[in-house]
Amino acid sequence: MITIDRLCYNSKLRYVNAGEKFAFAMLTLAACVIGHSVPISCLILILTGILTVWKGGIPVSRYLRYLLVPLVFLLLSTLAIAVNVSAVPLDLFAVPVGKLYLTGSRASLFYALELLLTAMGSVSCLYFLSFSTPMPDILNVLRRLHCPRLVLELMLLIYRYIFVLFDIASAISTAQDSRLGNRNYKTSMKSFGAMISALFVRAMKKSGALYDAMESRCYDGTIRVLNETFPPKKREMALIAAAEILLYILVIWERV
Amino acid sequence: MTKKQKLFILAAAVLVFTFGVTGTAQAMHIMEGYLPAGFCIAWGVICLPFLFAGLRSIQKALAENRRVLPLIAMAGAFIFVISSLKIPSVTGSCSHMTGTGLGAILFGPASVSILGLIVLVFQALLLAHGGLTTLGANTFSMAIAGPFVSFGIYKLCQKGGVNRRLAVFLAAALGDLFTYCITAFQLAIAHNADTTMGGAFAKFLAVFAPTQIPLAVIEGILTVLIMAALETYAKPELRAAGFLKEEH
Repeated sequence: MITIDRLCYNSKLRYVNAGEKFAFAMLTLAACVIGHSVPISCLILILTGILTVWKGGIPVSRYLRYLLVPLVFLLLSTLAIAVNVSAVPLDLFAVPVGKLYLTGSRASLFYALELLLTAMGSVSCLYFLSFSTPMPDILNVLRRLHCPRLVLELMLLIYRYIFVLFDIASAISTAQDSRLGNRNYKTSMKSFGAMISALFVRAMKKSGALYDAMESRCYDGTIRVLNETFPPKKREMALIAAAEILLYILVIWERV
Repeated sequence: MTKKQKLFILAAAVLVFTFGVTGTAQAMHIMEGYLPAGFCIAWGVICLPFLFAGLRSIQKALAENRRVLPLIAMAGAFIFVISSLKIPSVTGSCSHMTGTGLGAILFGPASVSILGLIVLVFQALLLAHGGLTTLGANTFSMAIAGPFVSFGIYKLCQKGGVNRRLAVFLAAALGDLFTYCITAFQLAIAHNADTTMGGAFAKFLAVFAPTQIPLAVIEGILTVLIMAALETYAKPELRAAGFLKEEH
């Protein structure tokens, strides 16, 4: 269903303090975006890649496949940056189309490459977080950071209900498949519409039942859950701090 | 199916075939790290008043009736799920609805802004669509601009006495197209190295058109089908969601 969610519960880094992982991912992400340079991005890509695959125990093939998820976006937008339509050919290449040229300059190609690597580096930071930290732990960190309580409450409920709705949706699609509901394009459009509307009805009914269940268990506006906490380890914190300081020194050095 | 719907489906099929898109066509999330730091912060700040208004309206609704909380949460989960289900496609490529048009029609644009933000966080962390640094930009285009346009068009059409189905189609499809234009604009003001900003805007529009225009048409058709089914089978539930909308 949601592969990332399943993988992160099996990660070897799961029982590391969530705050540490969150801080590491966010600081590295910020360094990657601020640094915006080829060496820093490559360094971050390698660093978080090693952490996720080797320390976290995520299968390499899975990890690589996930790195390719934003590929379509990446290719299309990089194309839009590197290729220009103009009347004068630029220095790198020029393909004449009628009176105009499809053309690109060395500078913009380099710019696109830099951007591509920055984006890949940032994605790898994001993956470090989501492949090692289950959503409830992240919500816990957000609570410590004083995110509005209502938003957290909603996030908790939404997270829970995503899976319930996915279950319903997959049961309905199986039923539709077994009755030739996806025989051709027309029927599959119709089936999809029917599935979503059935899903909506079920969701609304469930929300009523959910409220009754919560009310009968003395719901008073906050959902209290027990959190497993794993205290931060000094060694890990020192390593993270050292890595981040080095990274930011590199960022500043690159910028100057 | 009415004749009009058949026509729509035909048009969509033709569009999809013409461009022959394969691979994954996402709703247009700007990926992690693709915007410079300044723009990330700026878009986040632009979103704040909308999010604040959304939060206030949800709080007001909750103060009047606490029963609304699971309903709002359900709405959020519903938007997430419809935006991650594979929609039927002719070429075998894998594409998804944005679901914001439907969300705005069902639940109103104010609550969709907050729900959209939460859905985008989940999409970034669980599905790797979009990202945390680009959260502000994506929230603006998908959870604020798109839904407001969808809702506005829907209301306008209702006032103007336009056919209901057509109104739903226009709301969903144009909302989608607006989101796509905003995203192209966001990319263009951040990255216009060799050309003017207008030129960059045109380039981004052109590059994403083959995936986004058919997607908008298909999303419009699907939203019509969903709303038609809902009006037939789910009057009470629609009223419950409409209650949510009136509160805001």
